[in-house]
Amino acid sequence: MVKIVKGAITLLLGLGLTFSAVYAGGNSAWWKKAGAPYKGAVLQGIAENTPPGQFAGEVLAKEFESLTGIKVRLENTSWDQMYDKAIKDMEANSGIYDFVYIEQDIVYSYLDRDFLVNITQSLADNPNLVAPHVNMNDFTTFIDYFKDAKGDVFGIPMEAFLKVYLYRKDLFGAADAKSGFQKKFGYALAPATSFAQWRDNAEFFTAYCAEKGMECWGTTVQGHTGHPASTYEFLESVGPSFGLYNWGVTDDFHSCVAGGGSLNGGRAKGALSFWTSMLEFAPPEALQSTWSEVASTFAAGRAAQGWVYGENAAWIASNKEKSLVVGKVGVMQPPTGPGVLTQAASGNGYIGYFDGGAYGIPHSSKNKEATLLWLQFVAQSEVQADWAAAGGRITHYSTYNDPKIKEMDQVADGYFTLMQNTGYLYAGAPMFPFHGAGRAAIDPFIYAALAGEKSPSEALDGACKALDKVMKDLGYQK
Amino acid sequence: MKTSKTLYKTFSIIIWSILTFITLFPIYWMILVSTRTPVELYGKPNLSPTFFEKIYWKNYTKPFIDGVFGDYLLNSIIIATSNALIVTILAVMATYALSRFKIAGAETIFFWTMTNRMAPPAAFMLPLFLLFTKVFKFGDSTLFDTKIGLILLYCVFNLPFAIWLLKGIIDGIPKELDEAMIVDGANLFTVFRKLIIPLAAPGIAVTSLLSFLFAWNEYLLATTLSSVYSRTIPTGLSEFVTTTGTEWGTMAAVAVVSMLPALIFLALVQKYIVTGLTFGAVKA
Amino acid sequence: MNSSRTAWLLLSPTIFILVIVGLVPFLYVLYVGFFNWMPLGKIKDMQFISLGYNYRELMFDEYFIGSIWRSIKFSIVTLLFELSIGFILALSLLSSFPLKAFFRSVHTLPLVIAPIVVGAIFKLFLVNGLGPVPYLAKEFFDFKFNYMSSENFAFWVLVIMDVWHWTPFVTLTLLAGLSALPEDPYESAKIDGANNFQIFIHITIPMLIPVLVVVVFIRLMDSLKIVDEVWMLTGGGPGYGTRYTGIHIWKEVFEKRSYGYGSAMSILYLYITIVICWFLYSVMVSRGKVDED
Repeated sequence: MVKIVKGAITLLLGLGLTFSAVYAGGNSAWWKKAGAPYKGAVLQGIAENTPPGQFAGEVLAKEFESLTGIKVRLENTSWDQMYDKAIKDMEANSGIYDFVYIEQDIVYSYLDRDFLVNITQSLADNPNLVAPHVNMNDFTTFIDYFKDAKGDVFGIPMEAFLKVYLYRKDLFGAADAKSGFQKKFGYALAPATSFAQWRDNAEFFTAYCAEKGMECWGTTVQGHTGHPASTYEFLESVGPSFGLYNWGVTDDFHSCVAGGGSLNGGRAKGALSFWTSMLEFAPPEALQSTWSEVASTFAAGRAAQGWVYGENAAWIASNKEKSLVVGKVGVMQPPTGPGVLTQAASGNGYIGYFDGGAYGIPHSSKNKEATLLWLQFVAQSEVQADWAAAGGRITHYSTYNDPKIKEMDQVADGYFTLMQNTGYLYAGAPMFPFHGAGRAAIDPFIYAALAGEKSPSEALDGACKALDKVMKDLGYQK
Repeated sequence: MKTSKTLYKTFSIIIWSILTFITLFPIYWMILVSTRTPVELYGKPNLSPTFFEKIYWKNYTKPFIDGVFGDYLLNSIIIATSNALIVTILAVMATYALSRFKIAGAETIFFWTMTNRMAPPAAFMLPLFLLFTKVFKFGDSTLFDTKIGLILLYCVFNLPFAIWLLKGIIDGIPKELDEAMIVDGANLFTVFRKLIIPLAAPGIAVTSLLSFLFAWNEYLLATTLSSVYSRTIPTGLSEFVTTTGTEWGTMAAVAVVSMLPALIFLALVQKYIVTGLTFGAVKA
Repeated sequence: MNSSRTAWLLLSPTIFILVIVGLVPFLYVLYVGFFNWMPLGKIKDMQFISLGYNYRELMFDEYFIGSIWRSIKFSIVTLLFELSIGFILALSLLSSFPLKAFFRSVHTLPLVIAPIVVGAIFKLFLVNGLGPVPYLAKEFFDFKFNYMSSENFAFWVLVIMDVWHWTPFVTLTLLAGLSALPEDPYESAKIDGANNFQIFIHITIPMLIPVLVVVVFIRLMDSLKIVDEVWMLTGGGPGYGTRYTGIHIWKEVFEKRSYGYGSAMSILYLYITIVICWFLYSVMVSRGKVDED
């Protein structure tokens, strides 16, 4: 079976490479002409090692090279290293990278430090580089995160996805599970639509799995006690779903309740309490889990439910080489606290993180024009469908209607439909230019709460003070 | 008497067998992990030597052949070898000078080189990063992300160490011998070639190997000061937490390859390791 | 031939490199430590602040002081274990038994492995969901092995890793020391009728003190610098638990990007480490048996 799947993928790739004209949207002549002056150039890029990134580096880059003669070397590396190397390069002006991955939450910092080339302006200044068939209006509103106050674009989105609630259809549908749950809790077993239900499900399945001798637990927890991934989980997913928006920071940069903020307020503490209490029902690796471990935990069949990034949902649901739960994955909107959904729907809040990133061009790049061509190449509507199928990400409106995606949607239990219909409820990270420093200040408190060394209440009280201090030291809080 | 001696021997063998197991078992596990597919790594850890039946070579080919780790490996080799070479040559020269001539300020130099050995690399991350990226500029390029940058940097830790090691050895070559050669009309270069190097050969070899090893194994400053073109293998290890399931297998494969020079040199360097690490204070 | 000139000629490349890549960074970090420099802040450039402001802040910085104490605690604990275990092993290697050479070689192996790889080895070995240790702990001892669950747990795991890594150094050094001990005192003692225990306490140990001091000095010096293995295994966590000074500086500088403060911290760290090391070195020298020029 594995061989057939592998063969199919190879065939697909082969077909893709052969019919590269498809990706050029029938415009191969234009690409050839536009690329001619830069033929032989090598573009170096850095991004996070995710399925969308791999597709870009392995498939799209080769298309682009065969059409224009410009080589694209995309370095897909770990999240930490990606930031580290990109920032070092831009700070040092060393011109190593021609394009960098801009994660949605770091774009404000990059704009503030004036690292990026204004793409709109560059295209206006270089009309011969403008690909006529690229429709910038086809981009979803995600591209707004990468615009400055004037509306100029600084990054071309290459991936966007939601963090969704995944659950094991087979476990939730098992007859003995259903009857056992009904007996224990007095209501029907179902994927969680409230946090109380999440808790009941987690408690139930941990016991259920233990009784049956299966290596599974009630829920995942992205609770690494030594990596920012856990802080992100709290600030971007758990917190907002309980109604903690913008890290609890006010417009004049106060985060503690004493100063008008809400980072140590009731909703925040409720969120942290719930989340840390879920550790009891999570597999042992929860305390060492970043987003990648959470994905592999779920893919290994070790959890009945959990918050998982959309880009992983796709391969967990379909890739037999890496997932043991193919065909058993259910996708749903995560639960929210009381009132949160209404707030989000009216635009006064959000229920979770609209994650993703774009490719941008550092000022220090030595091949800006050629890179502009590459960025427009990946901005084409024509390449989006296969990219979405490989990486579970959507950046263009038109992709939703592509038959490939509609098919993929079935396999991924409606993830794409969910994104299309409810995407507006999610939001990106707050517009802080000091994102990294602020988060680093909060990290130790979240870790302490996860390790049980501080109560959630103490942890948040300490966290908001630390964050306030950072904002003050950096000159934002008066 | 005889029985207690045999008892003692048996006891020693048992203890040391256990120790050997403790030493080798984690390494064995790492090798195992590097031969397995992601799906095989889920679930119960399988301790049996499955690499005799099947090896998932992709863990090795993906980073080294398809990916950039092949370049990283090359960088490691170039940097470590060049550094060892430069350090050895300069150290021989410097030690000879310190040994044969009375130099004003020898004490200060000694103090300073010792301090270099004591200094924590972490304290130098920031200034080196800023210097390499902003100050040490040559026309358009800086020392950041260059092999030569790292090669020079490692001299700071390796040179004092090498000088220490060689000092005792070169001191041990009687001054009269080279004085006699000079009287006979030989120049300094000949003295080195015909006298010092042959007599100090084992010590020089050890110094080179240990310098190579140190340069190969260094991580912190290499991560700080390199990005793409001068990345070494140890720094490559940190590139291994990804968003699609931590690639344990590939990480293990890279770690195994990182260990190879160590294994090769172990045989060669074993006798001198103590002398090396205590920089001559204790001779094995 | 002007001997002084030749000497300086021979020395000059060495001095040149050491000045450029060793002294200059030191002077630079000293300089930057007097400024407030935060690229992520509203004001992105360096601003001179009152002399010693950063240093004064550091004296009261509980996180920095905490990291120093943690480093010292870690260094001392690992040293004690390595010393005791190493000593026993060295003694055992004095007599001959079958396969001794083989055992000794294998024992030396961890010394030549890169620290970051040691961290990787232990991570693969101990991580939940992959490593055999947590799994076996659960199966046979019904024990939830999770080294990121508490500061204490992480600490002891790191100690075990460090002992695995560096005990061979102690073993081999002490073995060298023991092998070089002169015979005479032992013979006299035997003639005088001393038993083995008395010989050990009153002859062996005192004669070994110079070597012991060397071992202590080098282990402490290297231990205070540790970063790679800890970073790989725990990332400094859980919380601040294993955030030793090197890692603390790394995070301050490259995550928070506070260059001025980070520089002051680097200097203080350097100063404290060097003071401790020089103190130990002078002890070592006064006990004799050290190669110095």
